Amino acid sequence: MSAPRVPVRAWVGLGLLVGLGLASFLAARVFPEALARTCPLGMDPTRPDRTVCELAFGGLWVSLAVGLAAGALSTVLGLGVAVGARVVGGVVERWLLRGVDAVFALPDVLVVMVLQLAGQSLVDAGQGGGLGPFGLMVTSLAMVGWAGPARMFRNRLATLEGQEFIAASRALGAGRWHLLRVHLWPALRPFVLAVFLSRLPAAILTESTVSFFGIARMEPMSLGRYLGTSYAALIYEGGSRVVLPAWGLLVLLVLGASLSSQALGAGARRA
Amino acid sequence: MPPALVRIGRQLVLVPLVALASYYLMAALPLTTEDDSKRQVSPEVLASYRKDLGLGQPLGFLRPWEKLFAGERLGTSAQGVTGDELLLKLSGSVGVGLFALALALTWALLFALLRARWRRGRLAVLEDALPAVAFGTPVFIPALLLAPSVVERGHLLPELSAAFVISVWPGIFLGTLVGDALETELARDYVRTARSKGLAPRTVLWRHVLPNVLPALLDAVGPVATSLLAGSFAAERVFGLPYFGQLYVLAVLQKQVAVVVVATTVFASLLVIVGMVVELARLAVDPRAREARP
Repeated sequence: MSAPRVPVRAWVGLGLLVGLGLASFLAARVFPEALARTCPLGMDPTRPDRTVCELAFGGLWVSLAVGLAAGALSTVLGLGVAVGARVVGGVVERWLLRGVDAVFALPDVLVVMVLQLAGQSLVDAGQGGGLGPFGLMVTSLAMVGWAGPARMFRNRLATLEGQEFIAASRALGAGRWHLLRVHLWPALRPFVLAVFLSRLPAAILTESTVSFFGIARMEPMSLGRYLGTSYAALIYEGGSRVVLPAWGLLVLLVLGASLSSQALGAGARRA
Repeated sequence: MPPALVRIGRQLVLVPLVALASYYLMAALPLTTEDDSKRQVSPEVLASYRKDLGLGQPLGFLRPWEKLFAGERLGTSAQGVTGDELLLKLSGSVGVGLFALALALTWALLFALLRARWRRGRLAVLEDALPAVAFGTPVFIPALLLAPSVVERGHLLPELSAAFVISVWPGIFLGTLVGDALETELARDYVRTARSKGLAPRTVLWRHVLPNVLPALLDAVGPVATSLLAGSFAAERVFGLPYFGQLYVLAVLQKQVAVVVVATTVFASLLVIVGMVVELARLAVDPRAREARP
């Protein structure tokens, strides 16, 4: 039996993501001087020592890093909850899923704002457990973002467990962990990647919005914080020169993650 | 117990849960330190926070609400809020949100119609690209692009502009959903049967297809309401609208913990009210919902 083909859309999306990641890493970290010299968009109105390109690509690199870390942590948490729910089953699973639905119903931006306030107060009081702004943001995003993946993984596991090859394996005496390790996990793996990629844009957009409000103290600046720290100047000085590149980069990032996530998710469901 | 009541009851439980969770989270925060931290809260402000939160008092979690209902100010004098002011700010945000909802429904209809037309032509690629662009655009970006016209030159009403920028993504999301549901329903056997019996296409659409599409639309109203309310936070900040979103952001920035507790609970209540209205609408339009098990 040959492995299912990865759809072209998924390759396009992954290519876009990797390309943006590489471009932002090279531009912001490896050759910042070259970028500063060749930037056609000129200097930033509120930071005359930096070009718009430096700030936009630097912000993209930070936003991408936050999105990847938060997406991965949310996916792992969601997977853990889903597997736990399926292993325990019964009333506990039902109540767990109600809790998951309740968390899922809360708006990400609002909850992350509250968690940032709580986390920053702990950090200021020296009780932050060594978390810096980056770690605090990733933790806040993961604490909000695990509910969606948990729901999706639980439903996918329930569907897989209802299939004939699982029933046959059970009839042959396979235990719960054997089923999970040998049969369910290989079938679940492409879906896990799809869910991780679907969390990526959500985490990046939530981080951007919260940073835009000035609530997160991300250093170096993410795209949202970059726009948030200069938005008053942008309003009065015709800031489309600053806003449009940042917007374009955000859209490309989200487009890449969405394309690959949708294509891989559809492929995983068909398989 | 009727299933609809069970579903409504489950939603209502969210309000006290959010109220208690946000209260105890805020009450547990170490808002001051002994060293000279930059963001240290002064002893006077800390005392005011403790008083607002009713820390150390029996049933202290009711204290912020008692103060609000008694017409007292929550938080420090300059940035705090009274019950009347909170209502006023909330009504402003809800007004903008309702107008945005109407706009979102208009965009949804337009996008669903355009999708149906694009599918047959060269513009089919826009079917996927437009939702991706809309999803990848946080509300503050179109708000920043519109801001010079609104704030500097005063050409547009800030409320109208806020409603416009927050309605775009929910509109396209609803349009995609309605378009997909419409396409699925139009391909069903009952539509072919109705047409073959001589019913006019318009009658088939209004009498048979749309009632089956409506539940899908109602399912999306909850997430759309959340998205509109959360989007209003950014739009209000950029356009300088002194409503609920602005209040919430400032309360978090200035560590007005009692205001954060009250505003979070009010926000959750608003979402629960939307959920209950959706549930009632579903009961009215979908007979299957009346018979479904909870």
